[in-house]
Amino acid sequence: MAVQWQSELHEVNGVTTQVLTAGRGEPLMFWHGAGTGGGWDFLAPLTEEFKVFVPYHPGWGGSADDTSMTTVQDYVMHYLELLDLLKIGKFNLVGLSMGGWFASTFATQHSLRLKKLVLVAPAGLRVKEHPTADLFRIKPEELAPYLAENLAALGPPPDPHDVDFVVNSYREATSFARLAWERVYDVKLPKYLHRISVPTLLIWGRQDKIVPEAQSATWSKLIKGSTVKTFAPAGHLVLNEKPEAVKAIGEFLTA
Amino acid sequence: MAKWQDDLQFYTFHFMHYTDLPADHKKYDSLWVDFSNKHFDARKGYDFYQRYMAEMVLADKLGYDGLALNEHHNTVYSLNPVVTLMAAALIPQTHNAKICVFGVPLNLEMPNRLAEAYAMLDVMSNGRLEIALPLGTGMEYWANSINPAVARARFREGLEVLLQAWTKDGPTAYDGEFFSYRYLNPWPRPMQKPHPKIAIVGTGSPETIQIAAERGYAYSSVFVPIVAQEKTFQKLKEEMPKYGHEFTPDKAIFNAICYVAETDEIAEQECKDHVRFFFEDATRTTARYLAPPGYISTEQLRLRAAATASHGSFDWDALTQQWRVVFGTPDKVANTLGKWCESANSSRVLVHHHIGNMPHWKVVKNMTLFAEEVIPRLRGKKTAAAAETRVPTGAK
Repeated sequence: MAVQWQSELHEVNGVTTQVLTAGRGEPLMFWHGAGTGGGWDFLAPLTEEFKVFVPYHPGWGGSADDTSMTTVQDYVMHYLELLDLLKIGKFNLVGLSMGGWFASTFATQHSLRLKKLVLVAPAGLRVKEHPTADLFRIKPEELAPYLAENLAALGPPPDPHDVDFVVNSYREATSFARLAWERVYDVKLPKYLHRISVPTLLIWGRQDKIVPEAQSATWSKLIKGSTVKTFAPAGHLVLNEKPEAVKAIGEFLTA
Repeated sequence: MAKWQDDLQFYTFHFMHYTDLPADHKKYDSLWVDFSNKHFDARKGYDFYQRYMAEMVLADKLGYDGLALNEHHNTVYSLNPVVTLMAAALIPQTHNAKICVFGVPLNLEMPNRLAEAYAMLDVMSNGRLEIALPLGTGMEYWANSINPAVARARFREGLEVLLQAWTKDGPTAYDGEFFSYRYLNPWPRPMQKPHPKIAIVGTGSPETIQIAAERGYAYSSVFVPIVAQEKTFQKLKEEMPKYGHEFTPDKAIFNAICYVAETDEIAEQECKDHVRFFFEDATRTTARYLAPPGYISTEQLRLRAAATASHGSFDWDALTQQWRVVFGTPDKVANTLGKWCESANSSRVLVHHHIGNMPHWKVVKNMTLFAEEVIPRLRGKKTAAAAETRVPTGAK
């Protein structure tokens, strides 16, 4: 279903930030992962119940670069400012992959600002037995099978000879490298996840080849009272592949 | 402006490739970064080291002004991942030539450690050291634990530390984004004061030219097409005076692949396959390894995406017309080099005498003919090239 996204630009502490919005209702913020290809129309069902905000992180999509943003905490601070600008008080937060890392870190510090939290295949934890894949080791032409079980759900593949696509992918990889070239987790996160005090849902594709579904046990142990829902067959981009996963988010947030 | 003829110097540049590749090596799209080190045979490595050092010792005896070395990691391209060790090994075996370490990628070392290593080499060699500071190829960032997205900022800071260590009496302190020193006070200090001659190495990106211009350093262009290289030197000449530095011909250092023989035909026949090996095999890698995330700006990436890559491709006609590749009789090689020096107003030529997988006898022949037949033709300033193309001082 095509969503009529409205696009706005905000100056957030000097960084031009593009925010897409659609729908009506309580505010729901979706924080994307390390890639922005394919768009966000899989969120369509949520726009029926919520006003959905999809901000592009600095360094991604239509938001400007900020080379000084090198830690997850920089993104947490960025979003505190954006929330103030948008005059959003309490809100629902959904974070996917790298966005889940941001969202979980945000929640350890600002649970009072949240209604509920959803983490979809979140990055950010080191689970030695089930390590997160190193995205920098995966060749772009070999990436798609890492992302999904049903490749058709990702839409038509990008043209590798499209210079604009190549340049933007490089730019987003650069933003990701600033944050995660050395490691795609925060060794201290387990120490603080118990600070999350809002109802939390963890969503995973059971065949996730980027952040293995087996990590969900560690997350659910560390976030008290959280629940896990898994979907199969589905990979890392479970929300693209499984409409029922999006539906589960809606049900959790409205319950 | 000073002219290139007044101070012409020839350095021989040896990359010290490991050329004993498995028969099926063409199936690997990169011989850098991820080409398995299971293919390394230490016995063969020993033989290569012995041979390559002997070639550099010969170059010293033949009177070359400098013996140039560089460093790369995880690759058959270079047996010198710790190039300062090779420099140290050559010092007691050589007497006159400058030891040119061109060089250790600054980002891969703690800058005080590099200040120490280079100072040791300079003192041990009685002031024969010359250095160049490369950012390091993209491939080095896949092989080492350094974030390519901060490479350029880190490089600038490392350079500050290195210079502070050499130019200010210690102990000093340094408080930076990447490095902090409580007692920056490295022993020994260089023999040459305030420090050995420094060049910045690069492909001609605006960022590296800028650093050389600001500091008044030489710019050593890596092997790129002639047109691109001339643009680089032109930019350097324009920028340098803005920072109060004078451009002199020793600040434009260029690379040339040269092979000298009795006739042009013999030269082509003897060198062509080795030049092919250099471009098709020794430098073969992928666009992804050449440009890890953040290593270049998106503007530079856009330019690269539109241009043809030199790594791993071989077009003999294009190479000999658009790149500094020259083979033939001493007259032909001298004339061509003279024209290149003239057009770039460069007095420093880095000559690749050992090319690709060239056998020892050809290296000896090439190096010897070049030293005895080509260099005198250029030094004598009576070559056809110099006579034809020399522009009166002040005409430019």
